[in-house]
Amino acid sequence: MSPDFLIALTMLTNFALVATSRINKAIQLAVVQGVLLGLVPLAMGLGRHVHILVVALAAVAVKGWLIPYLMRRAARQLQIRREVDPYIGFTVSLMLCAAGTGLSLLVAHSLPLKPGTPYPLLVPAALATLFTGFLILVSRRKALTQVVGYLVLENGIYLFGLLLVEEMPVLVETGILLDLFVGVFVMGIVINHIRVAFDSVDTRHLAELKD
Amino acid sequence: MHMLDLILVLSSIGAWAVSGLMSLGGGWKARLGTGLGVLGSLAAGVGAIRALAGAPPATLNVHLWGLPVRFELDALSAAFLVPLHLIGGLGLLYGREYWPEDLPKGAGRTLRFFYGTIIASMSLVFVVRQGILFLVVWELMAVSAFFLVSTEHERADVRRAGWVYLVSTHLGTLALTAMVILLGHRLGGFPWAPLRGASPAAVDGWILLLAFLGFGFKAGVFPLHFWLPGAHASAPSHVSAILSAVMLKTGIYGLLRVSSLLPAIPRGIGGTLLALGAFTAVFGIGNALAQRDYKRLLAYSSIENLGVIAMGVGLGWTGRATHDPWLVALGFGGALFHVWNHAVFKGLLFFGAGSVLHATGTRDMEVLGGLAARMPRTAWWIFPGVLAVAALPPFNAFLSEWFLYRGLFAALQRGYPWSAVVALVALALTGGLAAVAFARFYAVLFLGQPRSAAGQHAHDPSGVMLAPMAALAILCLALGLGSLLLLPMLDRVVAVIAPGAKPMLVSGMGRDLAWITGLEVLLLLLGGLALAWIRRSPRPDPALAPPTWDCGYAAGTTRMQYTGSSFADGWSVHLPGVRSHMRRIKGLFPKPLRFRTEVQDAMGDLLVAPRMAALAERLLWFRRLQPGFLSVYLLYVLLTLLGVFLWMLLRAQVLG
Repeated sequence: MSPDFLIALTMLTNFALVATSRINKAIQLAVVQGVLLGLVPLAMGLGRHVHILVVALAAVAVKGWLIPYLMRRAARQLQIRREVDPYIGFTVSLMLCAAGTGLSLLVAHSLPLKPGTPYPLLVPAALATLFTGFLILVSRRKALTQVVGYLVLENGIYLFGLLLVEEMPVLVETGILLDLFVGVFVMGIVINHIRVAFDSVDTRHLAELKD
Repeated sequence: MHMLDLILVLSSIGAWAVSGLMSLGGGWKARLGTGLGVLGSLAAGVGAIRALAGAPPATLNVHLWGLPVRFELDALSAAFLVPLHLIGGLGLLYGREYWPEDLPKGAGRTLRFFYGTIIASMSLVFVVRQGILFLVVWELMAVSAFFLVSTEHERADVRRAGWVYLVSTHLGTLALTAMVILLGHRLGGFPWAPLRGASPAAVDGWILLLAFLGFGFKAGVFPLHFWLPGAHASAPSHVSAILSAVMLKTGIYGLLRVSSLLPAIPRGIGGTLLALGAFTAVFGIGNALAQRDYKRLLAYSSIENLGVIAMGVGLGWTGRATHDPWLVALGFGGALFHVWNHAVFKGLLFFGAGSVLHATGTRDMEVLGGLAARMPRTAWWIFPGVLAVAALPPFNAFLSEWFLYRGLFAALQRGYPWSAVVALVALALTGGLAAVAFARFYAVLFLGQPRSAAGQHAHDPSGVMLAPMAALAILCLALGLGSLLLLPMLDRVVAVIAPGAKPMLVSGMGRDLAWITGLEVLLLLLGGLALAWIRRSPRPDPALAPPTWDCGYAAGTTRMQYTGSSFADGWSVHLPGVRSHMRRIKGLFPKPLRFRTEVQDAMGDLLVAPRMAALAERLLWFRRLQPGFLSVYLLYVLLTLLGVFLWMLLRAQVLG
């Protein structure tokens, strides 16, 4: 499988993520995206570096199993299935996502990056994923969907990191992975506290904490 | 060999930092920390005095985070390190009893920690010769002082004083940052070394202006002084001593150091500083007269003394601008001598005020009185400080003001009339008002009879607190009588401040000081003889002696004494910040009335505070940007990101 194909699939999952309202499906899509991205370095033929192989496998394991496990458990405990009434509707989100992707394709060529990367879709896809993650974070109300947005955001950063993968030390990559895991873990705890405190996981209630 | 002095000073800085850290532990660690601090002060004192006594400047060049950094110990640094470590070491001892470590209120350990950091960072301020590192240690000092001032942060007025101080010091640092950048351009790099032989440039004026703004905030020169009384009054007394006796002087040090790097001083700037210092001095002592809180009184007196020092610096700058070595010597020499003197007597006065506060628990002088009978040792040891601050011979401050009088008359003869006339009048007025203010301070606190129960059962502190006061009191007299020995040191310091100026103090002032010292010794001898002659007659039986200030009334009460406010009434009513509250007396048989006065700072409380409140009201608008929704904050990030992208996209078109 060519890496460009995987990257294109990633971009498609972005659209699906933005358009879905069911939380289980959003988690599923985030898992698919994470695994796809975990496979990209292998498809790029970087499997010969042992440290890249290890990090890619760890990424697949964390994003494909550990994080969705935590999130599904939270969803089960909280008994929520759907994101209803988001700040930005699903249709508008889809259009914004399309606009963001288009903008990323435009901008990617004017970024002062190292010229001559063999994968022309890599930078635009990274930016588009970043943008999608932000969009989900901003537009959704439920804390759990916001965690999904955070995951997508991290995926974008990971994709961007692939650009430099051969120079990037293993420490940085494992750092990003650990950061992601801790982020989800902490947000899981926060979600639970929001629920206990406000009897709901709607993040609007957090505004009451303002002084 | 002279490198040893710098190494002594640097190791003392390390000792103080470790001493602060150890004090966090408590118990034997805290005692070891105190020992380390005292050792550090001794080491730095030895190093600095050797540098003052004629050792050549010692320089150490190192690389820190890839930047070249210079440490240097020259006479100017040493001149400020000596008072710092004198008051710092004595204050550490004093604080052992004044603020015991295991006190339930306040945090004794954090107080000791920041006491260590402030001494260490201030010592670094005096030896670092590199712009960036200077700013870093300057901030470290300022922040340590903030924590020290807000030691009793459970009280609202202390918190407010701390915040006002923090904002002021950061405004000053803002100006200093700009100054360091400009100076870096002028010197061609951040390490500070005097520019020799360069021609004056327009940027010099800007550097000096920014330095004045930044360092003036620290020194408390008139429009920038408003943080000072609150901060000094709120801090624990041995900390007030450090703040007043040394930290304010870092501002003066900064002005002197920066001006010494420049090849020439623009004309006019010296005269302006002279006039401003004169105004500051009169303003400070005028406000000191009106205070009820005796620590605020001392703080305003610090403003006055810093004004006097600023006058000296202004006179010296005038001398540099007109290439007049005599004015340079008298101005800078007088300023430096006053820096030492003020450090000694103000340290003493704050230690004394701390003893009174320790014994009575109140800072309001109107409820005290008659403490001389109850705290005789404190009253005895603080008395030289009171005489010194009033600039009376044979104590030290008389001589530094003598330098300034000589310099101002010399300036008058050379035809810089306006600033010199203003300064002469102000200096004379300041001396007179200081005598009144401190007569009031001493009389209301220590003489007469107690005005309330607060001072009834006061008693002297133990030797741990008295010994530092005694040392400083003796030093007040010793500096006054031994001033001849100090002249060569002052000459060396002036040579650093004004590179290339001839040393003139030894030859020019030697005869003056010899005469004055001779007269003073004679007067002291005569006074001692007179005292012995009076004591010769047998003392009356104390049981028969009437109460103090009984004045023959049949049934006098303690309320019939002069109060502090009534004593100062003739002078202080004309101050802009004094408000009297009393209802009109109506009818033939008026009801009992209450009379109350309050003093506000004309600059800080009346001018700055209302405007700051109005500004804060306006800035509330920005609260709308803070709705409290996580999504909105993320949206801000997203919009910024998009903005950056668009800029990338359009950059080529916009910039062409």
